[in-house]
Parts: sequence; structure tokens; C-alpha cells
Amino acid sequence: MALVLRAKFRRWLRGGDDGIAAKVRRKNQINDIIWKSLPSIRLSLLVAGYAWMLAIPLPNLGRNTYIDENALQPGQVNTYWNWPHVFRADRYLESLEQLRDQNSTNAEWAGYIKHEFRDLGIHVSTQSYHFTNASGEYNGTNVYAVLSSPRASGAEAMLISASRVSLNGNLNLRGIATVLSLAGYLKEYSLWSKDLVFVISDGYLEGMQAFITSYHGADEPNLDADPLTLSSGVIWTALNIDYPGHSFSHLGVFFEGLNGRLPNQDLINSFRLVSTYTGGVPVLLYDHRDPREVPHLESQLSIIPTWLPDVVKKQDAVREYGFRAKNILKHVGYQARGQTNGVHGLLHRFRIDAITLFAVPSSGPHGFHALGRVVESTLRTMNNLLEHLHASFFFYLLVKPGTFLKIGTYLPSVILVSVSMMFTGLGEWTDARWYEDLSKPKATDKSVAASGGIILLERPRPVLQALLIMLATHLAGVALFYIRTSGFAGLHPETTSLTLCALLALPPLFALIVRSSPSERSAPIASILKAANLCLASTVISVTSVLNFSLAAVLAVLLGVPLSYSSYKSALPAKIGRYAIYVGLGLGWLFCEKEVQRAIWNWEILGVWFAPFVCVVYTPLVLQAGIVSLLPS
Amino acid sequence: MDFGLVYPALVASRLFLAFAPLPDALRHDHQLSSPLTSYPRLQEGIYLFQHGIDPYSGGMFRHSPLLLSLFSTVLPLNDVTSKLLWTTCDAISVWSLVQIWRTRQRLSSTSRDGLIAAIYLLNPYLLLPSLALSTSTIENTLLLLSIMFASQGRSSRSLLALAFLVQLSLPALVFVIPISLLLLTEPVSKLVSPSIPNISLNSVLAKLAKFGSYTVILTLLSTLACGNWAWVEQTWGSTVTLPDLTPNPGLWWYFFTEMFDHFRPFFLLVFSVHLLIYVLPVCLKFQHDILYATYILTGIAALFKPYPTLADPGLFLSLISLFPETYQYLRYPIVTTLLHLHSALLLPLFHHLWLSQGTGNANFFYASTLVFGMANGAALLDAIWSGLRVAIGTLPPGYEIVQK
Repeated sequence: MALVLRAKFRRWLRGGDDGIAAKVRRKNQINDIIWKSLPSIRLSLLVAGYAWMLAIPLPNLGRNTYIDENALQPGQVNTYWNWPHVFRADRYLESLEQLRDQNSTNAEWAGYIKHEFRDLGIHVSTQSYHFTNASGEYNGTNVYAVLSSPRASGAEAMLISASRVSLNGNLNLRGIATVLSLAGYLKEYSLWSKDLVFVISDGYLEGMQAFITSYHGADEPNLDADPLTLSSGVIWTALNIDYPGHSFSHLGVFFEGLNGRLPNQDLINSFRLVSTYTGGVPVLLYDHRDPREVPHLESQLSIIPTWLPDVVKKQDAVREYGFRAKNILKHVGYQARGQTNGVHGLLHRFRIDAITLFAVPSSGPHGFHALGRVVESTLRTMNNLLEHLHASFFFYLLVKPGTFLKIGTYLPSVILVSVSMMFTGLGEWTDARWYEDLSKPKATDKSVAASGGIILLERPRPVLQALLIMLATHLAGVALFYIRTSGFAGLHPETTSLTLCALLALPPLFALIVRSSPSERSAPIASILKAANLCLASTVISVTSVLNFSLAAVLAVLLGVPLSYSSYKSALPAKIGRYAIYVGLGLGWLFCEKEVQRAIWNWEILGVWFAPFVCVVYTPLVLQAGIVSLLPS
Repeated sequence: MDFGLVYPALVASRLFLAFAPLPDALRHDHQLSSPLTSYPRLQEGIYLFQHGIDPYSGGMFRHSPLLLSLFSTVLPLNDVTSKLLWTTCDAISVWSLVQIWRTRQRLSSTSRDGLIAAIYLLNPYLLLPSLALSTSTIENTLLLLSIMFASQGRSSRSLLALAFLVQLSLPALVFVIPISLLLLTEPVSKLVSPSIPNISLNSVLAKLAKFGSYTVILTLLSTLACGNWAWVEQTWGSTVTLPDLTPNPGLWWYFFTEMFDHFRPFFLLVFSVHLLIYVLPVCLKFQHDILYATYILTGIAALFKPYPTLADPGLFLSLISLFPETYQYLRYPIVTTLLHLHSALLLPLFHHLWLSQGTGNANFFYASTLVFGMANGAALLDAIWSGLRVAIGTLPPGYEIVQK
């Protein structure tokens, strides 16, 4: 009985006696449905991806930040920084202002700071450095001091730094005064379990770059720096103090590092708790104040367009959306270009979790007193660490202080766009395989009738030619990078840009004289090129998204629609018009002189990969789509 | 392409690359050399050996005593000789590969020779481990030599090369049966028109016995070189007991880092046996074309061996150049290619996130090795499918092939 039932069930599962045929038919039906709905699938994926991106700043998304590492215990200590220490900081400040007024040289600054550290009884030394790149030379002298831990072997260290030039371009005198006064104050305590390394770096970024690469013995081709005479242990965490104004209203946290690396979120969260509850200072992301708190500046700070009716503009949800969106846009601006927005970013490369505390210039109410307490308490928190900050807390998107998105809630936006591009590419690839047989009269047999009486025949696909075109564009990208970063380009930037643009944009026009294949027997190169171009772009976007989400998002926006809807089936004027758009998209950046120079500086001095990435990956991908639009169908 | 021109040019550029200034980190990269094939470890072992310390007494040196005695006597290993030796190995591999192709076609030279050489020498999965001086390059050379001699019917040389290979790497045992069978059949392509070959069991056993005696002799020589049997546990033993869990692009290491100790012996047995169970089915299914069976088995060994490097899947991918008749029947070539593209980008990236940048962890790299495993598995399935499918030929419209 059971056997009979089982046999019946099995037969039913296989689709009756005619099992295999039924299976094949079912499979073909499913394939048909997928194939017919492919255009709508890829369009909806694309739309969903972009909609998700727009939804990231929505007010009800995101969760409150929390402390993941239990050892940190932020804000659990009494702080003893008080007015006598503020008084000392004021005295340092007076001397520093004198140095500024006398237009002192780098060496004089370093001499003064070194002298003060020595007076405090802390081991101190200086380091001179010399950078050369295409655009000029940078000289300077860093001062650094090491306060050995009284309670441990000195295998680990914390770093407290201030650069001479603030991230807003002014002199960071109060930052230096804070570090000096803190050094004297922290020395009085015996509770440090890690060495304290104080660094007053010269310039804005150059000084710290020289110091930290020498500290870790890393190679730096453009740098000629003195070796360090004092050493300490592995640096786990670092605070950089940036206090350019007279007083401050908020402490802004800057955290993006080189090449889009972020510090462990626990560090930012601890600092936020300490600042809010111990120091009584509200925290901002960067220097972006909430427009709702300063009504008289709202039109300047807000990114909500002014032409919107007040009914919409004054909605709390809309204002919250605008506030979050601006934070995110700033973050994307820093991370996508891989550039740092403060000295802290240089340290991430060496697995140091670092942030910059930026005292947002204002007429009040806070000063040395609050800053000292916040830094003291944050250092005590960092001092509690028993191991490197490690929990997977490196992938996050801070939408406002105290609220963040987890990787699972923002990453899919980019992945959806990338999947849509992959589907488009695979669809194009499959499409190129078949052509309609028009020679024979329409057959009458059953299988052909099922597909609407059309007979499809296979044809070869010219993969090699398409791949060679792609290789050529990427090699052209390499050449573009080397020429644009050469010394000649540094002297004549505009001429070089124009020449490069012409050299890269004109040769593909030869594609116009390629004759279309005589018969349908062979697939057009353009369709294979488009398929390969989309598959490569999709792979690049999805792989980049893990490393640098902002860059992947920018790529998804810039490449998603243009590459997916590149077409080779248009008349000559339309072809030229399309190509012009691609050239503008792929090479237009050559004429943003300031942007290009900054990217090249970042590459040469700091080793940021953005400039080579754009030249070797982004521009060639767009040019390939341009060539697709030029080739015959 | 003329082979007489392409081959010297390729070897010369390979030699140029060997002496180009490359970062030292290459030799320490986990994807390019495993603990069993790492060049720095080999140097360390030779140093210890020459200074009278048994290199097998620690857990550090896992190379065969044959390499140890070779490099500490006849061929002193330094920066120049090693680069020359590894280039020579690559040159021999390419030459053997082309010879295999020519024997398979029964021609003394073909227009495809240059292409085959280029596919081997320009394959980044093979080039990078070779530049990193990983001894997996030597293993690939020995395997290709063995296949070449087997195709030419030279039994002793082929089995001797294989015995040497087994000394260097125990998982190469999967090739013993296919190479013995290859010696008894023709290497010409019979994929299109399969027929059962006439092989007597006794002749196979004779080959196996010959291989066995070579292996015994080499084993005794190894023991003589070392003075004791400690090397067996450290070299062959490590492929069975997996003592060193240094990350590699294979599927074993993460599994065994996560495992409770009392399950370890059982799963070690399962994983080891799993590698071997494919040998007979593949040899039976492709008995009409044993060279193709050998090719499939290189893919299986690359996928499932305990300490693979990129050179193992690289060999499998380059060997596909020998079987152009199967190309049009590959099932999902674009999917396989894209999987490989993804994994080739993800492997170094996640390795960097975990071990250099410190923002990722071991799970990241493990995920990328899984993608890599999927890519290699897909390539393997494609190869098996097309190797069987080619016999059916083109179908009239309205017909479909179904796998039962």
C-alpha cells in the first residue's frame, strides 16, 4: 500500500508519465517569463536602489548609538581639571600669540614648545621633515613628547595631538595650549596604564604624516624626515584637538580617514557621552549645526530648497530629513574622495582609531575649562581598554550625533543598483547569442509554433575584440593618470587637461567608420562591449561598497543609468550627441582644476587612491559606454 | 602565432618580471603560498638543517626532505638561483603543456601552441605564486611533466615524476590512477565519440606497483637525508591532520578553526576521504578520454585539498586550453567568469580588510574564499557538463538535453 502511494506521489511529482517533457516545458515557461519581464525587473531594481538611497536620511530610520566594548565605561570618573589648569593654558596661549605676532619661524615655534615640555619634566624631542612633490616643497618641525606609563610596561600608547594649522585654515593656538597644559596636568596622575604620546605637528597634515610614518617605519617616497629618538608602544587610540577660535559652542567630531577608513564607532560614541554628560558640551557631526537651533541662520544651514512652500518646509519631519541628509552628504563628500578632514585620518592606516575634536568657533559659552574636562575623561575611557577596539563596529553611517545606520540598512541600496546593472549586462549577453532566422518560411511544427513562429539561431560572439577595446581604454586611463600627475601637468594644468581630453575623446570616433557586420550571423561588437562593460562596472560597484560605501554610492549614481541605457541603435547625430554626454561624464572632471590638484596632492603626499581609481577605473568605464554608442549595430 | 617566437618571448618576459623590483610582502602572502609551500619557511628550514638543528622538530618547516637535501647540497638557494629556478619551472611547465597538446592532436606543431603557452604563463593565478616563489609552482611542473610523459607513453619517467610530486604534496595521490590509465590509453580526444577502452586490470596493477616501488625508494631516501622518520608527520601528516591553520584560499582552514576538538578527527577523516572518493567515478565516466579525467581531477584537488594556493585552481583553469572542442558546450561560462572576477577582487580585498586595515575579521576572508570555492566549483561543473555534452553534438531545433 505504502509502496503504491509512494510510486503515485513520485509520478505526480515528476509530472505524470510524460515526466521529462513536462519538466522541460515547465523550465522553458519559467525562462520565458523571466526573459519577458527582464526589462521591468532591471528597471524596478534600479528604481528600488535609488529610492533606498533617498530613504537613508528618513527620520524614523536608524538606531541610537550604544557602547559595544564594555571595558570603555565612558563618563564614569570624576574629573579634576580645574581653573588653575585653565590659567596655565592661558599663559601658554599668550606666549603662542607672541610667537604668531612676531612671525616666528618653524624652528622657533618648535623650540618654544620643546622648551615648555622640558620644563614640565616630560621626555621631548623634535623631528624635522621635508616633503617634495610636483607642486612644491613642505618643510617643518614636529615636537613630540612621551610620558611613560607609571603602571604598565609601555607596550601600548595613546596619542594626543594638535596640528599648528587648524582644519579651518586658522592657527590652532588654543589647541596647542590645551595639549601643553594637559601634559603638565596628566603627568600628576599615576593611573595611566598606557603611555601618553603628545605630538604638536607642524603644518596641517604634512607634519603628522611625517611623524606617524616615521613612528611606524613605513616607506614614504616623497618624504625626507629625521628618525625619531623617543619611542613608545603600539598606539591604539588617538585624539586630535582642534580649537581655532576664541570660544566654542559645540564640539564637532571629524572621523573619516584616508581611503574611506572609519575609526571604531565606540570611540566616537564614548566621546559623545563624555562630552554631553561630563563636559556639558553638545556634540555635532563635523561643524554642521542643526538649523532648527539657530533660526536666524536657518536659510544658510539648511539644504531644503527655499522655494518649497512653508507648509512643507516647516514640517518637522522634512527639517529632520534635511538635517540628516546634509550630514550624510558631507560624509559622502569626505569618504568618497578618500580624503581626511583632519589630522586623525592619517593615523587610521596604522590601525589607530582616531578622531578630531573640533571646537566650533563661537562667542561662547565654552573654553579651556570644558575642553580639558572632556579630553581628560575621554582619555580615562581610552585608558580602560584591555585590547584593541575590535568588535565589528567599523561599518556604520552616522546620520546625526547619537544616531546611526547599520551596514545592513544602507548597503543594499548600492547592491540593488549593481544587481540591476549585472542583469542588464547578462541580458545583453544572452540577446547577442541569437538572431532571427528570416530565410526559411515559417515552420509549422509544434515547438516552433510555441515561440510565435520565430526560429532563433545561434551566432558567435566577438568576445575578444570587446575585451581588447576595454583593455585599451583602461591602458589609456593609466596613461592619463601618469601624464596628469607629471611635472609638466603641474606647470601647465589647463593645456594638459585640454590636450588629454582631446587625446582620449577623439580616437574612439574611429568607431564610426567601423562597418556593421554584413549579416546577422555574427553578433555586433557593441552589444558584447556593452555586456562586458556593465558586468565589470557592476562588479566594481559591489566590491567597492564594502571598502568605501560612499564611493560605491557615487559610482552607482554616476554609472547606473548612463551605462545601463547606453545604446548603439541610433542615427549618426544621436550617436555623436550621446557620445558627447559620455565624454562630459567621463572626462569633465579634468577641468575642475582645484579638485584635481587636491586629489593629486592627496595621492602624492598621503597615498590616497582616489586619483588613480578615477583615472584607471571610472573614466575608462564611462568611455566604454561612449564607444558602445558610437559602434554600428 | 609561431610557437618558436612566442615561447622565448614569454619566457624572457617572465624572467624580466622575476628580477623586477617586487614588494617582499608577496612572498608572505597567504593566498600565494601556504605553510606547505612557503618560500620563507623553506629558507628557514634549510638554515636550520645546515646548522645541525632538525628542521622538523618545530612546527614551522613542512617541506619535503627531498627539497631540503636538494637545496642544501646541489643547488644552494639564494635570491638569484631561486628566481632562475622558478622561471625554469614555469618554462618547463609551458613546454610540457604544449607537448601534451601536440600529442593529443597527433601533430608536431599547431597554430594554437603559442596561445596555449600564453594562457599558462599569463594566468595571474599561476604567475603570482610563481613570483612569490611558492613551491606549488614546482608541484605544477612535476604534474605537467608526469602527464606529458604519460601521454607519450613513457611509463617510468611519468611515474617517477608523479612519485616525486607525491613526496612534495600528498593530495597528488588522486592522480595515481588516472596517470596509470593514461599510460595504457591514447591521449587523443575521444570526447566526441566515446568508446570503452580495452584495459586489463593486471596492466594497471603493474603500473601501480611501479609507482609504489618508486615511492618507497624516495621515502627511504628522504628518511636517509633526515636521519629519522620525523619528517613524515610534519609533511605528509600535516595534510591529514591540519596542524597549521594559517589562512589560505581553500575551504579547510576556517572550518577547523571553528571546530570543537572532539569532532576534529572525524571531520579530518571526512574531508580527506572526500578528496579521494571522486577518483574512481571520474575515471570511470571519462574512461574513453583519461586525459580529460585527469583534467577534471586537477579541478577537484584544487577545490578540496587542505592547503591550496592560487596556483592549484590556476592550473585547472589553464588546462582548459587543451580542450577547445568542449568550449561551445560549456553550460554557464559567463556566470563562472563573473564568479571568478568577483572572487579575484574580493580575496585580496577582504584579506586586506582583515589583516592590514583591521576593520574586518576572519569571517570576511572566509566569505571570499567561499565565493572562490563557488567559482572553482562552477568551473568544474561546467567542465564536466561540456565534456559529456560534446558527445551528443548539435541538436535539431525543438530538442533539449536533460540530465537524469
